[in-house]
Amino acid sequence: MTRVVFKEKPMKIRWDRQVPLLVLLVAMVGVCRVSGQEYPVATKTLKNGMKILVQTDHSIPNVALYTFYKVGSRNERPGTTGLSHFFEHMMFNGAKKYGPGELDKVMESNGGSNNAYTTRNVTVYQDWFPRTALELIFDIESDRIRDLSFDPKKIESERGVVASERRSSVDGQNEGLLDEQLWATAFIAHTYQWPVVGWMSDIEHWTIEDLKHHFEMGYSPSNATMVIAGDVTPEEVFALAEKYLEPIPAHTPPPPVTTTEPAQLGERRLVVRKAAELPLLMIAYHVPQTNNPDFYALNVMRSILFQGESSRMYQRLVDKDQIALDVESESDNAFDPTLLLFLAQPKQGVDPATCEKAIYEEVERMQSSPVSDRELQKAKNFRLAEFYRQVRTINGRANTLGTYEVFFGDYRKLFDAAKNYSAVSKEDVQRVAKQYFGANNRTVATLVPENEEKGKP
Amino acid sequence: MRKNFGELFAGSFKCLPAGCRRYRVGGFALVVALLGLGSAAWAQKLQMPAHEKVVLKNGLTVLLLEKHSVPMISVAGIVKAGGLADPAGQEGLASTTAGLLRKGTKTRTAQQFAGDIDFIGGTFEADAGADYSSFAAEFLSKDSAKGLELVSDALLHPTFPQAEVDKLLAQSVDGVKAAKDSARDVIFEYYEGYLYNGKGYGRPTGGDENSLKKIQRDAIVKFYEGYYTPGNTILAVAGDFNPAETKKKIEEIFGAWPGKAAPAVKEEAAGPMKGKKLLLVNKADATQTYFVIGNVGVSATDPDRVAIEVVNTVFGSRFTSMLNEALRVESGLTYGATSFFSLQREPGPFAMFSFTRNETTRKAIDLALEVLKKLHTNGITAEQLGSARSYIKGQFPPTMETAGQLARLIVRHEFLGLDDNEVNQFEQRIDGVTPEMAKQVIAKHFPLENLTFVLVGKSSEIAPMVKSYAEKQDVKEISAPGFWTGAK
Repeated sequence: MTRVVFKEKPMKIRWDRQVPLLVLLVAMVGVCRVSGQEYPVATKTLKNGMKILVQTDHSIPNVALYTFYKVGSRNERPGTTGLSHFFEHMMFNGAKKYGPGELDKVMESNGGSNNAYTTRNVTVYQDWFPRTALELIFDIESDRIRDLSFDPKKIESERGVVASERRSSVDGQNEGLLDEQLWATAFIAHTYQWPVVGWMSDIEHWTIEDLKHHFEMGYSPSNATMVIAGDVTPEEVFALAEKYLEPIPAHTPPPPVTTTEPAQLGERRLVVRKAAELPLLMIAYHVPQTNNPDFYALNVMRSILFQGESSRMYQRLVDKDQIALDVESESDNAFDPTLLLFLAQPKQGVDPATCEKAIYEEVERMQSSPVSDRELQKAKNFRLAEFYRQVRTINGRANTLGTYEVFFGDYRKLFDAAKNYSAVSKEDVQRVAKQYFGANNRTVATLVPENEEKGKP
Repeated sequence: MRKNFGELFAGSFKCLPAGCRRYRVGGFALVVALLGLGSAAWAQKLQMPAHEKVVLKNGLTVLLLEKHSVPMISVAGIVKAGGLADPAGQEGLASTTAGLLRKGTKTRTAQQFAGDIDFIGGTFEADAGADYSSFAAEFLSKDSAKGLELVSDALLHPTFPQAEVDKLLAQSVDGVKAAKDSARDVIFEYYEGYLYNGKGYGRPTGGDENSLKKIQRDAIVKFYEGYYTPGNTILAVAGDFNPAETKKKIEEIFGAWPGKAAPAVKEEAAGPMKGKKLLLVNKADATQTYFVIGNVGVSATDPDRVAIEVVNTVFGSRFTSMLNEALRVESGLTYGATSFFSLQREPGPFAMFSFTRNETTRKAIDLALEVLKKLHTNGITAEQLGSARSYIKGQFPPTMETAGQLARLIVRHEFLGLDDNEVNQFEQRIDGVTPEMAKQVIAKHFPLENLTFVLVGKSSEIAPMVKSYAEKQDVKEISAPGFWTGAK
């Protein structure tokens, strides 16, 4: 199965606590002709402001529990970049009742497992467990939300873990390295400019006070949404939430991120030179935040350009011109205007500029003439299948419902997506192509293999 | 669209409860029969969902499993010849043949095939592992006729156009080079190559920069015509379909595939390697050393497989495992440390895997070896055993939650000759692992003296640190073509 191994993930938006065992689809795309009634969701807001969503499914005796905190690297400051992600790691390193190492030991010996991820916008904690462990999980979650402790020894060893994570995903992954440089160039004002994992020098210098401050800032129950999918009833979950979570007092949520990125007024370019077998190309465009109405048209455009081997970019760069090994698009959900990325892995001996030119020609074709009816329908059909792929597991449902709730402000938007995608017209696709994909709005990053320049093979 | 970090530990193989598989498309496992009981009351007895096996007149084995949770259908199949059937020096032939199935058929060009499968929001992929070639497809139930027809078109009528052959081979060569830019993506290729000394499971199923260049269209056609026969193929269809209609449709389209005998693939089982050896792959820009330590393990049907799963859970396959506790939790040397048995038809590798910054390479490897020694000296406690059992049982149901997972599970069981008791007796077997069995398994299957080491890192900094691990030492530049094709 080696070929699949070589299709490397192009960028790292998300930083996990540990290597996830379950494959998740975070990229949020949803469309459906199904009604919300097929996946009934019960909701409750606790007195401290924490919102709970419950989606019952008895098909396996298991539960997926996700807690979304609206705090990420966008809430950080220079000098302590990466703190949200580091803090995420510290959430597993001991509280009042479950001391260092005990959370994992107790959870695993009761059949459960966990992970967590941090993005520029959110920090998300994940528990997967048999239903018999439900109350235990509430006990564990409430303990760390209420009484997290900071053991100086654990801070030092965890610092080493995060440094290793960074080496692995930035130093050891050309995509990670180039991606980091790209965001730092595309943003000059907004806090999206630094990497989620943080700069290495900041990783080396965080203090216990920084961690305490981050906890106070980001971890009020009122800043959290909990989603539970699986073999539970809303009644039992709400009762446990009232018992374990409701008594935890709310406090001030994170201060708003007020910086607005000024409009980009001309193309920016950057080059990374390092030892590498193959070059890389990434092109980033500024696009609106997730809850902008153009979300749907942008996703349809991306599908037509990048989805599947019949997509325009694959057909052009990989199949016809044979200048790239792979071409992809990436974006992540965001509270503020963000980036949409195009990535190409040029073949050996191909100048990245050749790939760049072909990509622009395809963008221009999208701007100058409407897409075909069949392409538009194909994109919508894909979104429908994608919806079912997301909701077919309790894990996928917990993640998708929480993501809609947090980024659109309402989980029910998941069930409106069908309507919203079917409303996208050819004109909409052409309009967003023109509006966001101009030369002045782009940042172009190229990784140039140094050995190649020296004339070595 | 996102591929996640899970690949880091997964490598090309990661042990899952139902056994390890080099089947990349997803997990496997089991589902619980509801039996009309209330949710809170039902006994947690895990059962393989009912499924039907039909052998068509031409010899094709068809497995059907209904699952109506979402309106989708999953197809999974195995052709009983993989990388082990590649002629010497043409590694990657099985994989290339599989990759070309959708790249041109009697009635469709590659572009038309892509257009048709994409239009229905479906997927079709095929590749080869060492034991077998495999394919998988997925589509909405409303498109079942079209979806099944596309699968049959790729499987029965590929034409292997020369232009597509050239294109795919060139991409595969560049794919190997791109992978070498990331140590974690290639370390297991080097490990398998070095461990088996370039034979059997030590040959790269995806090929390398040399072998891919030697593959000709004629060899691909010959491989296809020889091995892709109905009698050599197992096809599973799972999901939301009407069984009578679907069976009829399958008989109609796959029944037309002419049957003929396929040559058997000779698999030479390798036993554990004697002695110690070490391969250092130099990646001059590395800030971190990746390392794998192990030996040949066991096959997917080994009678000890359940006890191994339990012991390895304690030793290296969960967050609180002995390895991860020592290398990550207690010392902060790494982001993760793990161990696994790659369960295939013949004994696959056992491996311990981690990574650490250049300066702590020696310290981390010493620690891993110390943990291994501790496993032998102290064994595992009753508490660890109980915890591992609960963990394995608790994590099992989500591995057989979807139709796709179930389709791949039943196909694999059929290939390996395993039955539904792999699922139906799963809990019972896990609970039946005693401290005495654990002790025997440690002594028998966790190598202590005979170890193969493979490191990918910055040689100039780490070579002096690793000299004492083995008398036999080899070095290779990562940019040099190939992985490890055998001692000269």
